Amino acid sequence: MGRRLKSVWVYHVDAGSCNGCDIEVLDVLSPYYDLERLGIKVVPNPRHADALFITGPLTRQTRIMLKKAYEAMPPKPRIVVAIGTCASSGGIFYNSYALYNTSPQRGRDRLRSGGPEMIVPIDMYIPGCPPSPEEILYGVAQLLGIKEKKMKGEYWVALPPKETPKAENEVEFRIPDRPIPLRYWLTLREELRRVVGYYDREAVLEDFMALVEKAFESEDPREKLHDLVTGYFLKEKDSRIKVAMRFLENEFWKLYDEYHSLGEALKKKYPVTAGV
Amino acid sequence: MAESLSYTEKLKKWDRFEVEKFSKKAPVTTPYPFIDIEKPPEYRGIPHINPEKCIGCGACVNACPPDALILEWDKEHGVKRLTFNAARCIRCHRCVEVCPTGAMEPTTRFEIATDNKEDLVEVVEHKLAYCEECGEYLDFTERQIEYVRNILPKEIFEMYALEDRIGLTQEAKMRKTVEKLRETEGIPVSAFMLVKKGGEE
Repeated sequence: MGRRLKSVWVYHVDAGSCNGCDIEVLDVLSPYYDLERLGIKVVPNPRHADALFITGPLTRQTRIMLKKAYEAMPPKPRIVVAIGTCASSGGIFYNSYALYNTSPQRGRDRLRSGGPEMIVPIDMYIPGCPPSPEEILYGVAQLLGIKEKKMKGEYWVALPPKETPKAENEVEFRIPDRPIPLRYWLTLREELRRVVGYYDREAVLEDFMALVEKAFESEDPREKLHDLVTGYFLKEKDSRIKVAMRFLENEFWKLYDEYHSLGEALKKKYPVTAGV
Repeated sequence: MAESLSYTEKLKKWDRFEVEKFSKKAPVTTPYPFIDIEKPPEYRGIPHINPEKCIGCGACVNACPPDALILEWDKEHGVKRLTFNAARCIRCHRCVEVCPTGAMEPTTRFEIATDNKEDLVEVVEHKLAYCEECGEYLDFTERQIEYVRNILPKEIFEMYALEDRIGLTQEAKMRKTVEKLRETEGIPVSAFMLVKKGGEE
């Protein structure tokens, strides 16, 4: 695909944005990202512009202004680029009373309609809250024919357990094998979120589960696990992870004891053979 | 061992074009649209639903602030659709935080600009469980029931005879309990334990 457009002059409209996207647009014009080397130039008047950069979810106050700016553009290319999640679909403000949104389900339909697409046709959606300068560069590059489109809609049919897929988009159900029971894993994972956050927790928990698996091979798992965790503790440099490992060890034995004592108590209270 | 642990290790894996191609003298302007680049590992790109692990519980839907994730019931066909639209997503990764199966996967994908919004839609269709007593579909999926089977210990399943009632609607469950209570009036044992498939035990 050759370059469809060459030097596009752009007018930037703020349709009620929170200024996040506006700052990213400014960023893209700075020397590091330098949008102007692609032939883009920001002009102060829509009458000179080939394209419109819209940021913001289209408030009632800005609706007429946006329409006027769009109509003032020369009729030939009349490209509209929606920058940011708000401009693509209404974003987090989509059901606010201050927005102009005439979509049938008020933005809860399949395409999540909302934002400036209510009054002007949009040629390029650049979602992001705010989109990083690379994302804006990618959108503009795609408009100019430098980059190819990479996203594609997906439709998966999640099969019930114990069924095998026949079509391409059907997917089998799979619970990953773990050395500890699922209920332990769920509790530990949720507790760990408060210690190391969601970003690192899976990796930390995976390491811990490997230690547990090793410990339960020996005769005294409690001692062995303590040794293993101490070994890990000495090797690891990140103090956050160290704390998390100690925390996990305590929490694991707490859970283990609790479930076991609960099981014993239940067996005493409601012996299965009682009654009938 | 600590493969993904330390953040600095992760950063070292990040393929930065400045380091590789311009090790001595980095350019002032990024060559980005003419080359391919990677975002840093902790960058919050759009999340992705892994249909292998997803059970359709809707925890992500409750957590999503801008309703980028929506659940739709279609009880006539017995399906439940989880739709994700990246055009509405603000990349807060709350869904990744709350997902009980790890099906919501964070990615560093950032090249998502398109000219057609259909490209941003991701749908996962789940099959609803069917109650044979009432001939109605339940609110939850068959995968959810399977997941509950995996969470609860087997002893508790046996003790409360949950296998009988796990695939029933709320009404059928209540009816069954009342029937059993009437049958076993005067016996000082919890009625829940008496609903056992194999009869008396």
